[in-house]
Amino acid sequence: MSDTTHSPALDGQSAEESKFAAYVSIAMLLAVITGVEIAVIGLPFAKWLLVTVLVVLSLVKFMFVIFYFMHLRWDKLFCTILFFIGLVLAGGTMWALIKLFAVEASLPLSISLDTIADFSRHV
Amino acid sequence: MEATAKSHFTGKEEHAPTKPTFAFWRPSAKTGLVSWLTTVDHKKIGFLYGSFALFFFLVGGCEALLIRLQLIVPNNTLLTAQQYNTMFTMHGTTMIFLAVMPLGAAFFNFIMPLQIGARDVAFPRLNAFSLWTFVAGAIILNVGWFLPDGAPDAGWFGYAPLTSKLYNPTHATDFWILGLQLLGVASIAAALNFIVTIINLRAPGMTMMRLPVFTWMTLITSFLIILSFPAITIALIEVMFDRQFGTNFFEVSNGGMPILWQHLFWVFGHPEVYILILPAMGIVSEILPTFSRKPLFGYPIVVFSGASIGFLGFTVWSHHMFTTGMGTVATAAFSLATMTIAVPTGVKIFNWIGTLWGGHLKMRTPMMFALGFIWMFMIGGFSGVMHAAAPADAQQQDSYFVVAHFHYVLIGGSIFALLGGIHYWFPLMFGRRVSEFWGKLSFWVIFIGFNVTFFPMHFLGLNGMPRRTFTYDGNMGWNVGNMIATIGALTLGVGIAIYFIVIIHTYFKGERAGRDTWDARTLEWSLPNPPPEYNFAVIPTVHARDAFWYEKHHQAEIAQEKTAHHKAEESHGGIHMPFQSIFPLIASIGALIGAFGTIYHDLIVAIVGGVILFIGVYLWSLEGAEGYHLHLDDEGNEIDAPKH
Amino acid sequence: MTSHSATGAIDHHHDHTTSTGIPNKKLLMWAFLASDCMFFGTLISTHLIYRLHPPPGNPSPRALFDIPLTSFSTFILLMSSLMMALAVNAIQKGNLKSMRSSLLATIVCGAIFLGCQVFEFDNFVHVKHMTITNSILGTTFFTLTGTHGTHVAIGVLWLGLMYVRSFKPATGGQPWFSTILHVLALVVAVLLSMKIVLSIVWALEAHGLSAATLGGVFSAQWLAIVGALIAIGAERWFARPAGPVQFDQSNAIDVESMGLYWHFVDIVWIVIFTAVYLLEYL
Repeated sequence: MSDTTHSPALDGQSAEESKFAAYVSIAMLLAVITGVEIAVIGLPFAKWLLVTVLVVLSLVKFMFVIFYFMHLRWDKLFCTILFFIGLVLAGGTMWALIKLFAVEASLPLSISLDTIADFSRHV
Repeated sequence: MEATAKSHFTGKEEHAPTKPTFAFWRPSAKTGLVSWLTTVDHKKIGFLYGSFALFFFLVGGCEALLIRLQLIVPNNTLLTAQQYNTMFTMHGTTMIFLAVMPLGAAFFNFIMPLQIGARDVAFPRLNAFSLWTFVAGAIILNVGWFLPDGAPDAGWFGYAPLTSKLYNPTHATDFWILGLQLLGVASIAAALNFIVTIINLRAPGMTMMRLPVFTWMTLITSFLIILSFPAITIALIEVMFDRQFGTNFFEVSNGGMPILWQHLFWVFGHPEVYILILPAMGIVSEILPTFSRKPLFGYPIVVFSGASIGFLGFTVWSHHMFTTGMGTVATAAFSLATMTIAVPTGVKIFNWIGTLWGGHLKMRTPMMFALGFIWMFMIGGFSGVMHAAAPADAQQQDSYFVVAHFHYVLIGGSIFALLGGIHYWFPLMFGRRVSEFWGKLSFWVIFIGFNVTFFPMHFLGLNGMPRRTFTYDGNMGWNVGNMIATIGALTLGVGIAIYFIVIIHTYFKGERAGRDTWDARTLEWSLPNPPPEYNFAVIPTVHARDAFWYEKHHQAEIAQEKTAHHKAEESHGGIHMPFQSIFPLIASIGALIGAFGTIYHDLIVAIVGGVILFIGVYLWSLEGAEGYHLHLDDEGNEIDAPKH
Repeated sequence: MTSHSATGAIDHHHDHTTSTGIPNKKLLMWAFLASDCMFFGTLISTHLIYRLHPPPGNPSPRALFDIPLTSFSTFILLMSSLMMALAVNAIQKGNLKSMRSSLLATIVCGAIFLGCQVFEFDNFVHVKHMTITNSILGTTFFTLTGTHGTHVAIGVLWLGLMYVRSFKPATGGQPWFSTILHVLALVVAVLLSMKIVLSIVWALEAHGLSAATLGGVFSAQWLAIVGALIAIGAERWFARPAGPVQFDQSNAIDVESMGLYWHFVDIVWIVIFTAVYLLEYL
């Protein structure tokens, strides 16, 4: 998307206003979604459903910021690919790490803190 | 002797409007100490990386010899247990971070921009900052040798809780932590620079699938660096916080889990070993075609395999943790993923063999190293695949079998390729050629010494000898193996010594080499040797893979193109060169001081360092990316008076 | 290398001197942000891992977190992103005045966010007695949100320096004296304003809303108030119109790159707000 500086004043004016308006509208949408997120946590539904809703809402906000505020939608595709490489890798690594620590083999033994403190004193 | 030809640059552009830029000193020295400290030329920076790397390679080698001398006989008393811990820690850390990585960086810097037809990297001052920050990191890692705290001694992988304040109260571990942090910053900055350079600064016609394989490997390695180093940055921050502020990241009594360190470290650590090997594979992929007189076999699949290895490298980290009790599913998953990585690696080896097959082989020194690489790296790969089987690994873990494996891939792989690369590109960088006799002699002594050292370690490991233990009893059945290994190590040391003496002698007094000594295929060989500061008199247009080979066989077409492009470039103002700058160095000095402040928990010093870093960066940004213009005549000689 | 733009408009989204058309600085920043994803991903992973099986005696996030406060600061950061986008938009059209006011608005929003974090941290440490060392939650929470806050602070500093840079006169080289003083004025104004606002908030929290409370704050903070007024006045003086400046559409790439960093810090907060705060309430 290239900017022209030789267009008639009226067109330039409305182009600028529409981008301004677009940014403001998106910001308002993000604020509303944030409000919805806060409301959601009080709702009496199953935990897995609420978690999914929260994650999806956060993802929506995330995508709006990167594609509109950060202009990815109009930039060369390679910028999107580059960023998503990092994002997907980070997400995948996070998922793997949490899964590794959540399995039964990784559960910490249930020893009370007093016992641990006792042990280190006598070592 | 300068690595670049002399320039007529005087620092003043005639006819340019006089702006009182008194605040910004534009260093114009082209020779002498200041020219090196303020350089932004990728060739000089590459040379500096290489010089430091070779120096630290010798340091790491001495550390290794001390280890082997300690282990030559059972119950030896050459080193105490504490000293031994320091030796293996520093040997590993030095070889990985201060020898192999910067040697790779030396080639990325010098060769890659030449291979893509660029005049420099995308951000020359950032490049200089990477270099000086690397030096700062090297200083911090090694300063312990000269201080009562001692050098780092908790292993190159610094496992918690050994690195906690409780078990390692001196500053030795802090040197390790902050040294690695600075090296990480340097590596990430350099990698970002290389990515932008390769993606954005290619000569016209240089599509991605016409890039030399070494450039592709530079790109993939750079991605690995920017994506893997953050994990160790965070891990180091966490252990530093535990030591400095008493946080609980790895503090068991308050809910911390030391195993988390292992995971975070290896999330970095595994891609790191691919960072160490991929550049070597790139070098081999350049040497083999040149000395087989054939193009690389299966170029697209070699590139794709390199990318696969890079990606898969992020999925296997817990194969360093098979014996930590992660559970069956996790262990099996990582075992399978590790075996998968062997596939693209094997594919590459077949393609290299395909390159040799039916070729007119020239057994020059670089070719010897490349052939040695294929064979030795394969052996290392075989022991690696044996490790991938988790049940077998249960016996091999922490034994000398692992030591054998990684030295086969790191010396037989990385080092062989890098040493070969030095011989290969020496005529281009310095205009001199290493004598075939002495080069091949050094190769054979290294090859024999290396194998005699590390092959017995496979058996020592399978017979139960553990790693990282300063001595062993005489009745374990390990005596002969250790004695042989030490003799091999001393031989290897002799071979390295011959190699170094030969290289240094050649640098000063070697036989002069003509241009394109090897009749090679890639663009860097189209330049005078040593290349002028501006690299290409006229930016080439690329018509095919192995761009220079095309040029040599379509000389009339290329000559016409060059004349036309020369005119076009002149009409645009001539060759744009970046100014030198002192600010990257100042920023690095600030980082160094800040790191010392952090190590000694001294807020004032840390803040002073931070302020100097900030000032360096701020002035760097205010200075701007301006440069000056050079004009060349039709023969490629510089003209003093600018044409307008 | 600088781009030789042809006569006429600058195309802010295509640089014809590069192989891909993407400006070098933009590509650099996106690559850096990909790296920063792994950075924050690792840090967030550490926090979430330690939330899986909290040891006995670990504080409970639900008893600690002040969701209304954090929602407010999240909203502020979102608004700062809007202001940042508007600043980039303005300078791409050569509208300096609009860019400067948008940058100042971004700085103010960033400072408010930081102020909220200071308030939250102070509350956790002094009222709820959770420190970075006395529990695993304290350790991971303060490190994660503190690192994010440091990124915000670096961004605010960068914004301030870019704002001051936009006043560099077109002729005469770099005016060191006024540049340094302008930066100092801005920094002091922001810091002292934060101090004053936080003092008011703490006083209101401790003693309730009344004339006496406010009076007490003003008398205790009179020096800061005077200092802030002087700093703001000095800033406004340095920002007075004073002839042509060396900052126009060709600098938009630098503002845009900075904007990418700022937006990224915002989206990291979106993830942190959900993963660290909201998920605890399920």
